[in-house]
Amino acid sequence: MSETLAVSPVTEALFWLFSALAIGGAVLVVTVRDVFKAAVFLAGSFIAVAAIYFILQAEFIGVVQILVYAGAVSILIAFAVMIIADVPGGSRPAKGRILAAAAAGLMFAALAFTAYNTGWTDIEQVTDENAVAGLTGAYYEEEPAGSEDDSESAGARVIRAAEEGSEGARAGALIDSTGTIGTLLIREFVLPFEILGLLLTAALIGGLAVMRGVRTTDK
Amino acid sequence: MTLENVLLVSAALFAIGIYGVMSRRNIITVLMSIELMFNAVVIAAIAFSRFTAPAGLVDGATPVQAASVRLALTGHAFAVFIIAVAAAEVALGLAIVFALYRARETTEITDAAVMKN
Repeated sequence: MSETLAVSPVTEALFWLFSALAIGGAVLVVTVRDVFKAAVFLAGSFIAVAAIYFILQAEFIGVVQILVYAGAVSILIAFAVMIIADVPGGSRPAKGRILAAAAAGLMFAALAFTAYNTGWTDIEQVTDENAVAGLTGAYYEEEPAGSEDDSESAGARVIRAAEEGSEGARAGALIDSTGTIGTLLIREFVLPFEILGLLLTAALIGGLAVMRGVRTTDK
Repeated sequence: MTLENVLLVSAALFAIGIYGVMSRRNIITVLMSIELMFNAVVIAAIAFSRFTAPAGLVDGATPVQAASVRLALTGHAFAVFIIAVAAAEVALGLAIVFALYRARETTEITDAAVMKN
């Protein structure tokens, strides 16, 4: 696999730094008593997670994370805390704290065990020149030979690595993730994508309906 | 930074989220913990996109299909879906918190055991 995906020591250090920030923020969210402070730490944790996305070469998801989570969700939660203002006792811990810690520890152990004991298909195993170009380098998409008159072969296009310095080639999927996600969403995942639009509309209307409250109809 | 390292960070965030959901009584804090768990799952999805490859690319099948290359970013598409669902979830969740607060003057989970007013 190409050097494009090699991890430099600086990237490595930044990854651990932002991981520590994300986990530290998360710990404060679940331990601090003041709900508003918890919301602020949550926003910090979201931003650290966005940085992790950038480090993992998911620029589009990183930007969406900042817009949706650090922007919209954090503000929404902050507004909720301010409007409700029911925090004299703050967020009091429930009774089963030891049980909760045990469940969390058990879950962490199970996930860590799975992560280290599964033979993941490593991206380094991709050796084909055209496949590597499709992932990280410059490539062309073209119709497979002998199917020029087949109008339904658009989804069966093949990948060819571009010659060095040639123009018009597209950047590899991991490099140009935004464009590839767009194609993915309107080709392979078009039905989930449409259902998602429906879900968001339903959530918006449902949220408004719940917020208005049940009014007795006799005026 | 390997796949296992990133999954470890994701697992830690998820476990903290579980602890928050189970150990806090304020509904807003519980919602925040759920958001932490959503974030952990998205990190895992992105990590799989970054460090693993679809079978169509590994087995050296020729010619390389354009769809196989696109599917290397399935994790990113999943991340988009998860983030959108999480946004819908938090909007609805906070609407329910408001409704509960108006009806009961409380945001404690233990006081919300009855659905009828």
